[in-house]
Parts: sequence; structure tokens; C-alpha cells
Amino acid sequence: MTPHVSVPPFSPTIEPPAVVVSNLSRAYGDRVIIRNLSLRIERGEFVALLGESGCGKTTLLRALAGLDPIQGGRIVAPRRPAVVFQEHRLLPWDTLSRNVSLGLTAPDARTRVADALAEVGLGERLNDWPRNLSGGQAQRVALARALVQEPELLLLDEPFAALDALTRIRMHDLVRELVAKHRPGVLLVTHDVDEAIALADRILVMRHGAIAFEHRTNTAGLRISRADLLAELGVASQREGIT
Amino acid sequence: MSNFEQTALAPEFERAGFTDTSSPSYRGSGAAIGKRGLLLLSWLAPVVLVVIWELAARAGWISPQVLPAPSKVLNTAIKLATTGTLLDDLRVSLLRAATGFVLGGSIGFALGILVGFSVVAEAAIDRSVQMIRAIPFLALLPLVIVWLGVGEAEKIFLVALGVTFPIYINTTLGIRQVDPKLIELGRVQGLGPFQLIRRIVLPGALPSILTGVRYALATAWLALVVAETIGAESGIGFLAMDAREFLRTDVIVLSIAIYALIGVAADAIARLLERRLLAWHPNYGASR
Repeated sequence: MTPHVSVPPFSPTIEPPAVVVSNLSRAYGDRVIIRNLSLRIERGEFVALLGESGCGKTTLLRALAGLDPIQGGRIVAPRRPAVVFQEHRLLPWDTLSRNVSLGLTAPDARTRVADALAEVGLGERLNDWPRNLSGGQAQRVALARALVQEPELLLLDEPFAALDALTRIRMHDLVRELVAKHRPGVLLVTHDVDEAIALADRILVMRHGAIAFEHRTNTAGLRISRADLLAELGVASQREGIT
Repeated sequence: MSNFEQTALAPEFERAGFTDTSSPSYRGSGAAIGKRGLLLLSWLAPVVLVVIWELAARAGWISPQVLPAPSKVLNTAIKLATTGTLLDDLRVSLLRAATGFVLGGSIGFALGILVGFSVVAEAAIDRSVQMIRAIPFLALLPLVIVWLGVGEAEKIFLVALGVTFPIYINTTLGIRQVDPKLIELGRVQGLGPFQLIRRIVLPGALPSILTGVRYALATAWLALVVAETIGAESGIGFLAMDAREFLRTDVIVLSIAIYALIGVAADAIARLLERRLLAWHPNYGASR
């Protein structure tokens, strides 16, 4: 495979897609959470998924992660996706390197783990314990644990929601950098409109279990205005109209 | 409703804040004596008690038939250890305790794992175990003697019986308390069932299992004392009962002291185990 130098915004390639979802449905009893949803994410593409609480975006992510069974439709992904959750979910009884290598079966696991931790700026702390980490550091380890698997699809479930504003901005830079380097397809579920605008090549808004709005950042790099996006989310703000 | 919850929660928070501070202010900080002074003081009281006991015995205020002087007990210990059967008895007692502990512990752990992992096993086993547990296990002693006589088997059985339940209960409890989010993570990382148990479930349940071990050590010891008091031909309990016939209170006090010491030693070993195995745990491990 030829090495790709990915220049954001995203440009389509001939690679197979990271995931293709067709006509996905999911219901809990009578309550339909996802109805007939189709979605395709290319490798190297960063997709942000916005929507009100209960619109089905977390359900979609969990279905893609293989954590919940699907009831209708198809999900085709080449390999198991990697997930970063809102909580870091590090095993408190394992060192950072053991945490990152969890489930990694490659023969060169040791060097890959060391590289992954170095990438997130924690290369010196292979043998440290999770409880000695700050919230941002712990989330960086969770990111390393996801990327060390070299996933073709990376699912981010509000991974920065619990971080303070400054740490969040640093994490955005780090994620952008690492996604450009490893080129997984990314689905980021978030509540944060600014985060979506800052990171995504494509922004989806979900409503009542379906994708109600889609915006692809155009080639000139022009991004959707915050006000338009907020309006899509049902937040009509007078002040936002000015921007 | 929400009002009620708030008022109910408020003192909880306060108390939680209190335990964090090392010296609750209403008791005074003890700064006048210092930390080492307080430690010294805590040891001073028992030492003074022993000294008073020794003096009272020597002055003849306490009859040696009732309570011999500590120095006399110590002498007896040395004499029995060098010329008597003390060390043999100690070995026999420890062996009984260890055998019963391993047997009961294995059964309790195996059942605990089974019930912790399988809803079906829980439905099939748990209620029966809980029912048997409701019986104070020492109450079974007459029945056990009818079954097994008063030999080694009876003693080991009784110890095993006492050990099984605390290990069983704490193993199932520990497995149930493992954070489901971590199990979910294990699945996301592609762990198979065996790896999931080894990497996530057992380490997560370990604090609770070790608590069970500590309880079990205490009950094992209690079971041994009772078992050895009835119809033993060797062991620390036999030593005490034999001495009773000759009104050798010094030997009886020695036996009691040995039981106490081994109990303390067992607890210390359990604590050491916790510190080593739970080094990662903020409540147990030495700070690193």
C-alpha cells in the first residue's frame, strides 16, 4: 500500500472504507432508537456526530463497537474498531504499559506499546500506575491503548467531556496529529459544537434516530458557522446570529 | 423528595471530609506528644499491665493456681520447648489449620467463582450455601464427631467448614463488584473469556477475596481451638486440656498465649499479602 500524506481536509482515496453501515435499526422494546440509518466512513476521515441527549448517537457508537447487538441492517467493518470512552477505563491494577498492551497480540507488542505511549507524551512512564495520572494524562493513555491496535475505525465517545478547557484543547491537537499519522476512520460522538467544528472533516447531526443534517467541510477549508450548526441542533440564539 | 435527599446527604459529605484529615480536631491533635509519643503511649499501657500482673503474682496477691506470673509462663514455655513436646504440638496444630484452610479455601473459592460467573450456578447453589451458612458452624461439632469421630479428620473438617463460607461469600461479592465498564472495555479490546477473567475479573475481585482470607484465618483458628479442646491427643489444645487435669495453669496460660500469637501472626501475613498484591490499590498498597 502506498504511503499517504494526508492533508486535511479529507480527500477520498481508493482504500476500502473504515466502516459501512446500511439500514441500521435498533429499538428497546417499543422505543425506536435508530431507524434505518446508513453511514459510510472512509479511512483517514474524521466524522463528528452531534445531537441532543437520547437522539441515538451513543447507541450507534455502541452498535459500531460491537457492544450491542443490532436488530436490522448491516455493519461492515474490516476489523474490530478501537474505542475511547468518556472515562479512561484504565485497569488500576496494571501499569501503563500493561494497560496499553491489553488485548494486543502482535509479536512486537513491547516496542509498539512503548511507541504508542511515547506518541502521547508518556514514554517515560511505562511502569507507572494509572492512579498517579491526571485526568488528561489518563485519557492520553486510553488513546494510546486504542491506537496501538492500529484500528481502521476509531470510535470516540465524548472522550474529552470530563477534561478542563485547556487540557481539552491540547487533547484536540494531539488527536488531530495522531489521526493524521495513523489514518483510522474516526467517529467522534460529542456534545461540543466547537469541538466538532475544530476536528471534523464531516459533521453529522442526529435527530430521532436518523441523520438529519450533514455538512462536509469543503476543500477551501471553510467550516460551517457555529450558529448554523446550533440552529440544526435546535438551539436558536439571537447572539449567535451575528457571527 | 429532593429536599429530603439533600439533608440526608449533607452529613455524609461532612463525615467523608472528616476521615480524610488524619487528626479529627475534636479529639485534639496530640501535637503536644507527637506521633512517636502516641505510639509509645499505646505500647506503654499493655506493658504496665503485664508488670502489674507480674508484681501481683510475686507478692502473692494472686494465687499461682488462678493465674501464674508471666515470668513463670515464659519459663514453662522454654522448658516445654526444649525438653517437652511443645514444638511438636505446635507443628501438629499448624498442620491441621493449614490443611483445613487449603481444603475449605479451595472449595469456597471454586464455588465462589462458579456462582460469580454463572447465573445458573447462582440459582442452583447460592441459596443452599446461604442456608448452611446460617448454622453457626461450631454447632455442627456434635454431628461431625458422630460422623468422623474425634480424630484428625474431624478437626480438619471443622476448620475447612469455617473457612469455606467467608471465602465463598467474598469471592462472589468481589466478582459482582467488578466495574462492568472495565469488562466492557475488555470486550472492546478483544479479550476472550479466559483473558477477561485473568486480566480484569480476578484482579478486580482480589481486594474482596483477600478480605475473605483474613476472615477465614480468624474462623480457622477458632475452629481449631474448639476442635482441639475435644478429644485431641496432640496439639496446643491438647496441651491445655492435659494441663487442666494437673491444674498446671502456667501451661494453660501458655497455650492461650500461643493461640493469640499465632492469630496475630496469621493476620500479619494476610496484611502483608494485601500490601503486596494490592500495591495498586489506594486503600491498601504502600504509597509508591
